[in-house]
Amino acid sequence: MKNKLSKLVLFSVLIFCVSCNDPETTVTNILHTDGSITRIIEMKSMEGDSLKRFRIADIQVPIDNTWKIKDSVATDKKGDKTWFRRAEKLFKNVDEINNAYKADSGINKKSVRIAGFKRKFKWFNTEYYFSERVEKIFTYGYPVHDFLNSEELNYFYSPESLKGQKEAGPDSLKYKALSDSVKNKTDLWTYRNLVSEWIGEFTKLTEGTAGNDMPPAYLKSREKDITDIFKANQKNIDSLWANGTLLRKFIGEENASKYKVQADTAVDIVTKKFTLDFREYSLKIVMPGKLIGTNGFIDSSKVLLWPVKSDYFFTEPYEMWAESKTPNTWAWIVSGFFLVFVLTGVTMRIIKKG
Amino acid sequence: MKPENEKFNEVVGLLRKSRPLLDSPEDIGNKVIRRLRAEKPKTDVLSSLTDFLFSWVYIGWVRRTLIAASCALVIVFIYQQGVILKRIDTLSKQTIVNDKANIKSPSEEIERLLTGYRSSGHLFSSRNITISEGQMKDLLESVKDLQIKYKDLEKIIDEDPDLKKMIEKKLMGIDHIKTNL
Repeated sequence: MKNKLSKLVLFSVLIFCVSCNDPETTVTNILHTDGSITRIIEMKSMEGDSLKRFRIADIQVPIDNTWKIKDSVATDKKGDKTWFRRAEKLFKNVDEINNAYKADSGINKKSVRIAGFKRKFKWFNTEYYFSERVEKIFTYGYPVHDFLNSEELNYFYSPESLKGQKEAGPDSLKYKALSDSVKNKTDLWTYRNLVSEWIGEFTKLTEGTAGNDMPPAYLKSREKDITDIFKANQKNIDSLWANGTLLRKFIGEENASKYKVQADTAVDIVTKKFTLDFREYSLKIVMPGKLIGTNGFIDSSKVLLWPVKSDYFFTEPYEMWAESKTPNTWAWIVSGFFLVFVLTGVTMRIIKKG
Repeated sequence: MKPENEKFNEVVGLLRKSRPLLDSPEDIGNKVIRRLRAEKPKTDVLSSLTDFLFSWVYIGWVRRTLIAASCALVIVFIYQQGVILKRIDTLSKQTIVNDKANIKSPSEEIERLLTGYRSSGHLFSSRNITISEGQMKDLLESVKDLQIKYKDLEKIIDEDPDLKKMIEKKLMGIDHIKTNL
């Protein structure tokens, strides 16, 4: 009975969270050789209310009425309905995508996203580079690779399906341990980032006024201590901050009373950054020609895939890129003829000389 | 009797001595030269084309430049192909995921916020959460409690193979329904 109740509560929490993330969105960029991009947004929603379903304000990527939209619905055996929306638009170039990002009124409008495209002529081949980059949120944070090793990093950036497969596979124990390790380390990373960001903002606010009272390097040198104090006082942190105990521990008795306003303002700034609205989605890229490089994952249909989560661009820009090449047939033919021509000339000369 | 050879030599000697007299030997000479000049040499199109096309082989600097260009072309080709093959090889080691099951972890985003909340309590109050502090604490407590219970449950399942098998079967059934959607 107890277990059933636990399950029930667990599922209710999960359902709450799933509905938070509704709609489930995948963006596919199909790159063409001329630099134009066909962008397809596929959305899936369990939301029953047609007015609440697929609202532009809830969608993770920019979309408007210039897109070709197709809706469909599927009903499972139990009679539960899932709604799908497929939107498609051809962008002449990445600038058009970037303009759409700038004018975005969706849920992720506050994050800075930039698409990039490069085409390089390399005689035998033409190479194409396409990227989507999300700018970082924190100014003074630490990159996650300072906290995780390569295996953990790989796990951290993996799509959920892959994590699920690994955790349910034959090495489930290993991956569960890895998952726990990543969780613990990323928790520590979060604490350090919060503290570092607060120190950065606070130092900026007190710059010029603090003088010799509190040199900028002083707080930075105490960052680890402050993180420890922060962690050790998690339970009653509110009251400790409100009565100034924490700040006194951080910057000393005299400075605490002198710079209380700046300290609170720094907290507000960090809060705004930390609670930035961002709803995750998946990004796919289809490149022209043969793929030669990417930092993404490859899905079963040989399409490149990236999960886009706020964790990834907290402290460093998150760039999803792919590179491909198409052969220049005419260059191959010209090169072949040229080589034969030179070789024949040289051979003839040798024969005549002989 | 004179031998035959001697007779022959005498005849030849006589013939040599009695040369015909020419009226204007210079004119004849000029005529011959004119004819020879007027006669076009026999031409071979292929060999002239070959000579034209490959005349560069006799010009030192052109020959050297073209040979250098050919070598550069071959080097560029080998280098480019080498780089591409290496990159494709790296790519083939890249993880392939099953996108059908690419369902987002609903818990991760909230977990991040919870971590932040746990670390800061009310200090970093979210602008978007309108529930009371008490409710939030209750939620955190229940999540914590749930995590403990979940671990207990996992332990119970691990210790009972029949139960584990049954649950795995049930979960596979759920997956099957999802796929049919």
